[in-house]
Amino acid sequence: MPSWPTETKYISHDTTRIDGVAKVTGRARYASDIQAEGWLYGMILRAKWPAAKITDINLEPALKVSGIKAAVLARGQEMTVRFYGEEIAAVAGTSKQACLDALRAIEITAQPLPFVARENDAKKASAPQVWPGSSNHPEPKPRERGNVEAAFKDCAAVIEGFYSTPVQIHNPMETMGNTVSWTDDGLTAWSSTQGISSVRDGLAGALKLDHSQVRVITEYMGGGFGAKFGAGAEGVLAAKLSKEAKAPVRLMLTRFDQNLAVGNRASSFQKIKMGAAADGTLLAFEAENYGTAGIGAGGDGGGGGGGADIPLPYLYKVANSRVKQSAVAVNAGSARAFRAPGNPPASFGMESAMDDLAVKLGMDPLELRLKNDPNPIRQKEYKLGAEKFGWKEKYRKPGSSKGVVKTGIGCAGAAWPAGGGNRNTQGEAQISPDGSIEFRLGVQDIGTGTRTVIAVIAAELLGLTPGQITVKVGDTRFPPGPGSGGSTTCPSISPTVFDICTKALEQLQTQTGIPDARGKNWFAACKKIGINPITVHGQWRDGLSSNPAGGVQFAEVEVDTETGQVTVKKMLGVHDCGLIINRLTLESQINGGIIMGMGYALYEERVMDDLSGVVLNPNFETYKLPGIADVPEIEVILVNMPERGVVGIGEPATVPTAGAIANAVANAIGVRIGSLPITPAKILAALGKVPPTHA
Amino acid sequence: MKAFQYATAHSTSSARELVGEKGAYLAGGNDLLGLLKEYLVSPETLVNIKSLPGLNKIERGEKFWTIGALVTVAQIENNAEIKKVFPGLHEAATEIASQQIRNVATVGGNLAQHSRCWYFRHRDVKCLKKNGDLCYARNSENRYHSLFTGNDCISPVVSSLATIFTALDATAIILRDGNELRWSMAELYADAWSQRLAHNSLQPGDLILRVEIPLARSRSVFLQASEKHAFDWALVSCAAAAEIENGKLKSPRVALGSISNVPHQVAAANEFLNGKVLDDAIATQAAAMILQGAKPLEFNGYKVPLAETLIRRALLKLKGDA
Repeated sequence: MPSWPTETKYISHDTTRIDGVAKVTGRARYASDIQAEGWLYGMILRAKWPAAKITDINLEPALKVSGIKAAVLARGQEMTVRFYGEEIAAVAGTSKQACLDALRAIEITAQPLPFVARENDAKKASAPQVWPGSSNHPEPKPRERGNVEAAFKDCAAVIEGFYSTPVQIHNPMETMGNTVSWTDDGLTAWSSTQGISSVRDGLAGALKLDHSQVRVITEYMGGGFGAKFGAGAEGVLAAKLSKEAKAPVRLMLTRFDQNLAVGNRASSFQKIKMGAAADGTLLAFEAENYGTAGIGAGGDGGGGGGGADIPLPYLYKVANSRVKQSAVAVNAGSARAFRAPGNPPASFGMESAMDDLAVKLGMDPLELRLKNDPNPIRQKEYKLGAEKFGWKEKYRKPGSSKGVVKTGIGCAGAAWPAGGGNRNTQGEAQISPDGSIEFRLGVQDIGTGTRTVIAVIAAELLGLTPGQITVKVGDTRFPPGPGSGGSTTCPSISPTVFDICTKALEQLQTQTGIPDARGKNWFAACKKIGINPITVHGQWRDGLSSNPAGGVQFAEVEVDTETGQVTVKKMLGVHDCGLIINRLTLESQINGGIIMGMGYALYEERVMDDLSGVVLNPNFETYKLPGIADVPEIEVILVNMPERGVVGIGEPATVPTAGAIANAVANAIGVRIGSLPITPAKILAALGKVPPTHA
Repeated sequence: MKAFQYATAHSTSSARELVGEKGAYLAGGNDLLGLLKEYLVSPETLVNIKSLPGLNKIERGEKFWTIGALVTVAQIENNAEIKKVFPGLHEAATEIASQQIRNVATVGGNLAQHSRCWYFRHRDVKCLKKNGDLCYARNSENRYHSLFTGNDCISPVVSSLATIFTALDATAIILRDGNELRWSMAELYADAWSQRLAHNSLQPGDLILRVEIPLARSRSVFLQASEKHAFDWALVSCAAAAEIENGKLKSPRVALGSISNVPHQVAAANEFLNGKVLDDAIATQAAAMILQGAKPLEFNGYKVPLAETLIRRALLKLKGDA
């Protein structure tokens, strides 16, 4: 069995990003920076109605707009619109304004249809059917074990709560999109994607091309959290426009587009009943959950569906449990995989219920978790975190904080069942006689530091410095790599780089006779290679990575009980991900996960208007994300477990944040806010300060 | 946006001439460009007024200060004298948007900005304020909307400067066809109270030249409550200003933003406070007077206690207690 070195110079230490300078100087070319020769702007016409029957689309007037070179239909001359913002057609032209003018010129004959925008309304039998002929809300199938009714009778304390989470929209810093050039020689797409291979396969499939005719390049991209795996409607449209215009087309979504049609986290409405024995042992659990994935979970290749089901009772083993859940269709953009699909809502609901039960039992909520969480790593993390956080000193009974501005603390746990590696990952390295070495992997760096991880491992194993390693990723011409999702990237590429390095050293030994080419012997060995560089191919190896990953987080908040504003004062994350490769980028990823979780806890929410069926906040003015002024001190403790090999961390970093913050708020004010985001309006209402509505 | 002519004016008279009846003045452009891009307005001409002489100055006078309409919010924020003389104005400036926006946003533009109602701003919704038949907000998502209105539109005024200027009893000087009109803040927004399509009383071609702030109130305060801690609109904002003589309030003014389609003030409350020694009970009583008659809708009722809190806190801070 191969094994990672135990004495390390770079692995588990801090290495700044090897592409940091390129990024901050603007030299790094993101998908949206690509300017292929003769490129055109591309833009999409979207439905103005949440539901409609389109009987005719006339593109002719668009083609007459000065500067417009192509116009194509998304589906056909006739189509049924099922959500506001659905793609209808697209145009390409020499300026953004020409495209905007052309989109307005397109003539559509349409008959608006009845629609339903909200989950509660969609459940009603009288609601318009999103998919005619099938119910918006199919009868859920219960999952049951033990004897729930009997078990509840044995409980010393039982709570019933209702916990809900909104639809969270995918809003990476760089929107979705591509520049596509389709010529007789084939198709090249510069894509803002998490999966160059899945985009290639998607484009090839949709356009009926051989995979070998499609090349996808992602040198740099501005973030992806589960929605950027497939070619997407926008990728296919860009390709069709390119073919018709005979020019490269850059079609990056606007922020408005981004908020309508390219994926979101399904909502959840969780009715939870839970009971425990007097010592806190959970005995009975019952949950009914529904949520909406819009018109349906949109499995856009690679990233999974992002459906409305959530894992309950999440981290806890309860002998007697019954869970019923179902998706509710509404006329709105579909869900997609979103950083730990299903887990943040499950964590929020379950961890809220745990704290509510702790109150009823008169127990410290941390003790209740230690009593019921079967995972030994999290047990350790809770204890470590509690010590560091000062849990015992800080914990007070809910609502006992004095004064107008009340403080509170809370905690929550995360699990992520995946996180292991993709066994098909491959890569290669080319070693030149001058000692330079270039790694090529068909993976992409979505901002997590993938390039740097490769350089760190290679430097460690070859006895070089990370700066001496050249890393090329993001090209389907390189040996195939994994999609960057599910916390699988690091455990996929790390063993692969290990294999490449091992083979490189073996080959150097064979070819040069120098028994150990590492470190100070490196250049001497390379000199003896001969005229041509050597290329070594490697692949993922067993025994160097594993899963799952997890973690716990602690939150400290202040709540102004007169304005309802929540200020997060401190977040502490204690996370495990096996062998730490690069501490710096790992901490950065946890920081990012916590900040994203804060957005989920306090600010983010897609607001659907039930009268017009539109998304009311398709912008950063009212789809609110945390800003730097909202972000507290974040402390990250990493539990390094080299014996487990490499494990991914992307998902668990964001899972428990909202639950921890919600529990801290409840601890501060003594009342549970069961609905995310926790806004001033909800806090003032929960404190009984809001007067009755004027009819 | 639709194509437009572009011209730069070097005098107020040429600005008026260039803008005609279907043009718009362009200064910081923060509000105007958003309106253009969403096709909410489509002026034939944009008249760049950034080069108009004399309008970008803050001038100290013996009885009042003059702030030119082209003074940026950042200029106000960074002016050390303003921080001393009109602390509430300084506080209001610091709360506005982001640093980047404050660097270019002007006083005139802040006062003249249009509704932020998410129905009004939505490209595919035709609400009352866009000459449609229905106030969607009244019947649907009204969490950010008004508690008071004089017509059937419930989109609130969001100008933070209007709120503090109201409390400071400032006068706006408007150029209308060669004549200078002197308007109180109440007059500047009067049309928004009475007419659903209006968001202020300015007519096409009207140009805000400057604002005069009397030196009658040495104490002033601006408080804002938002969902986020920075770069977020106020859910409610509150300004208060007064003189305190022998411990008693003199000429107090309290004004609120984001709860009415005009800067909300209640004359009776100002009179009630006059001559009073401030304490929590007085402040609470004043707040009740100011909020009397509020008509909360389904989702904006929280603005009532929020406004009550801000009024109380602003008054106590005025006194120096908070």
